[in-house]
Amino acid sequence: MIKVDRLTKKFPEVTALREVSLEIPEGEFFGLLGPNGAGKTTLMSLLVGYLDADDGQISIDGEVVRRDKLDLRKHIGFVPQSLALYDEMSALQNLEMFGKLFGIPSRELHKRIEEKLDSAGLFERRKDKVKTFSGGMKRRLNIIASMLHDPGILLCDEPTVGVDPQSRNAIFEFLERLNKQGKTIVYTTHYMEEAERLCSRIGIIDHGTIIALGSVDELLSRLPYDETISIMKNPSTRECLPVFQSFGTLTEEDDHYELKPSDGFALSNFFAKVESSGLKYQWIELHRPTLEALFLQLTGRRLRD
Amino acid sequence: MAVLLTFIVPLVLMFIFGSIFNGGNSGPTGIPIAVLNQSKSDVAGKIVSTLDTMEAFQMVDSVKNAAGNIVPFDTTSMKEYVISGKATAGIVFPPDAYTDTSTALRLKFYYDPKNEIEMQMVSGLVRQAVFSNFPSIMAQSGLRLANRYLGSDSGSEFNKGLAILVHKYFRLDTANFLNPGKWMSYGGRTDTARGRGNFMSNFVRIDNEQVVGENVKNQWATSTIGGWALTFLLFAVTASSSSLFDERKSGVMLRLLTSPVSRVHILWSKYLFNMCLAIVQLVFMFVVGWLMFQVDIFSNFLNLMLIIISASIACTSFGMLLAAVSKTRQQANGLGTLLILTMSAIGGAWFPTFLMPSALQSLSKLTFVYWAMEGFLEVLWRGGGTVSILPHIGILLGMAVVINLVSIWRFKKGDIFS
Repeated sequence: MIKVDRLTKKFPEVTALREVSLEIPEGEFFGLLGPNGAGKTTLMSLLVGYLDADDGQISIDGEVVRRDKLDLRKHIGFVPQSLALYDEMSALQNLEMFGKLFGIPSRELHKRIEEKLDSAGLFERRKDKVKTFSGGMKRRLNIIASMLHDPGILLCDEPTVGVDPQSRNAIFEFLERLNKQGKTIVYTTHYMEEAERLCSRIGIIDHGTIIALGSVDELLSRLPYDETISIMKNPSTRECLPVFQSFGTLTEEDDHYELKPSDGFALSNFFAKVESSGLKYQWIELHRPTLEALFLQLTGRRLRD
Repeated sequence: MAVLLTFIVPLVLMFIFGSIFNGGNSGPTGIPIAVLNQSKSDVAGKIVSTLDTMEAFQMVDSVKNAAGNIVPFDTTSMKEYVISGKATAGIVFPPDAYTDTSTALRLKFYYDPKNEIEMQMVSGLVRQAVFSNFPSIMAQSGLRLANRYLGSDSGSEFNKGLAILVHKYFRLDTANFLNPGKWMSYGGRTDTARGRGNFMSNFVRIDNEQVVGENVKNQWATSTIGGWALTFLLFAVTASSSSLFDERKSGVMLRLLTSPVSRVHILWSKYLFNMCLAIVQLVFMFVVGWLMFQVDIFSNFLNLMLIIISASIACTSFGMLLAAVSKTRQQANGLGTLLILTMSAIGGAWFPTFLMPSALQSLSKLTFVYWAMEGFLEVLWRGGGTVSILPHIGILLGMAVVINLVSIWRFKKGDIFS
């Protein structure tokens, strides 16, 4: 169990975290969703004990995390946002070096390296220099380099930055397997799709504060509507604006209108009205509520602004 | 900052080289030279006075004995003084340097040719001092030779006749000519006597004796290899220390900092690696010197290793300091280039420090390059033992401690770990 209690971290020019509190049970895939600069990386740095908090504390299974508690780091794997690898060394050499930092006996280390390389699909390339790897391969190596000591907790700080969709999927599957094996995973991202797909519980962070916390369904239920409807802009739909407005709040975007249905909205009534107005169905798109929408609702800004 | 350094580096080097080779510098100053005057002759006394007034030399005529008392040199103590490296050369005017019956001045010149340029310059300046008094020696000796070969009566007549001729053509007072002791009050013109050696050797006989390094096979390589090795070593450890910036940029530093090792461990491991690299590089350079230039590194190998290790520690500390005070690799490289070239130049790695103005000579003693160079010379040139290199080792390690303390303070305040 990771317990974060009223955690505050200040830097000379900014307060990165303000009284953040949360609990992450063992085995959970927890997501930390927020825009750049929200405080995600700072929280990760505090969780791994790289930084000390100015106020409040973090404990893992009751033991307080601090910078000088080096042994506690043996229970945590930290996957940095950047590719923390030596480009001029082979995958094997990188893993040997980082594994030794955790004091893993040589024979055991080599066994683990082989297993991890195999599970990440990199075994055949183990003797190649990292600089010859694709972005996705480097990302996978970056993850397994953080897991050689077999930690119970894995902290992943935006581990898919700059990765193509195929490699991203491979990373997701890899992390999901780890979670199924019982690892607690804390995953930061500013991609809501990632958080929705991977995380059983999500904390939305902005300006150093957790502004929402819960499962995806719990979070989405905080929106005042279930879905949004976008309507293509054209002369026919323009004539029917009063019709749409009767179903909720209509806003005009660059290339479409967006309808946020009001309470008591019934989809069947809406489409019946559309049909009777002579509008075509392909001009209408139904959107499920998203975390992006929730973030917009909560902060007035988009996640990637 | 990096751009600024590209302007500063050449300016600093221009200043140093200009101070050495430009006419603005009046020449070498303060070269320690030991003098023992056992002669009672005026000529020897005048030469000693001339040496004493020359800015190039810092004349020493006494030494502290075993009891701690300052006593005048004798031949043995003066020779030891030169051998120990405290003086570049020693001049002895023996009791019979120039007696009433001498027809030539005799003196003994002990020298330590640890640096060819320095030795040539010292030798030239000593000759300058001697030959500035040459006219009186020549005249006095000439008169004595005339008396000896012609007999005292005919000799006196010959001398008088010669004096009249000299007076007629050179307007020189006849009485002065016949009493050349008075000439010396006029001083004399400087003459390095180039091309006149055979003629002058009739009147001045300098008995040269090399007291140090006479068994060194390749004197040039032995005295210069350490300097070049140090310069390039400093570049190597600077580059290696600057890898901290690459590690920070790539994120590897963050990975290290989130593993169960402390910041002190990270710095120590970097320091130890750089130190080993430095030792290997210095040993390699000396082995190359042995293979290619017959530099004798094995007859005093243990002491050479002590200096190599001390110099490596100091150089490694310097590299870490650069990483500690810089914000980027580019800045460390720029600052490193400036400091390395400056320290090498004023520390005596490229040319002897005596060529520099006295202010720079004083400054050179603040650089560990100077003490490393002196240590190498002590071991390879003079065959110095462990006791004789203890001061060098002590100073190098002391400097390393101070530099490391500053580095630690800067690392705590700097960006490497943030």
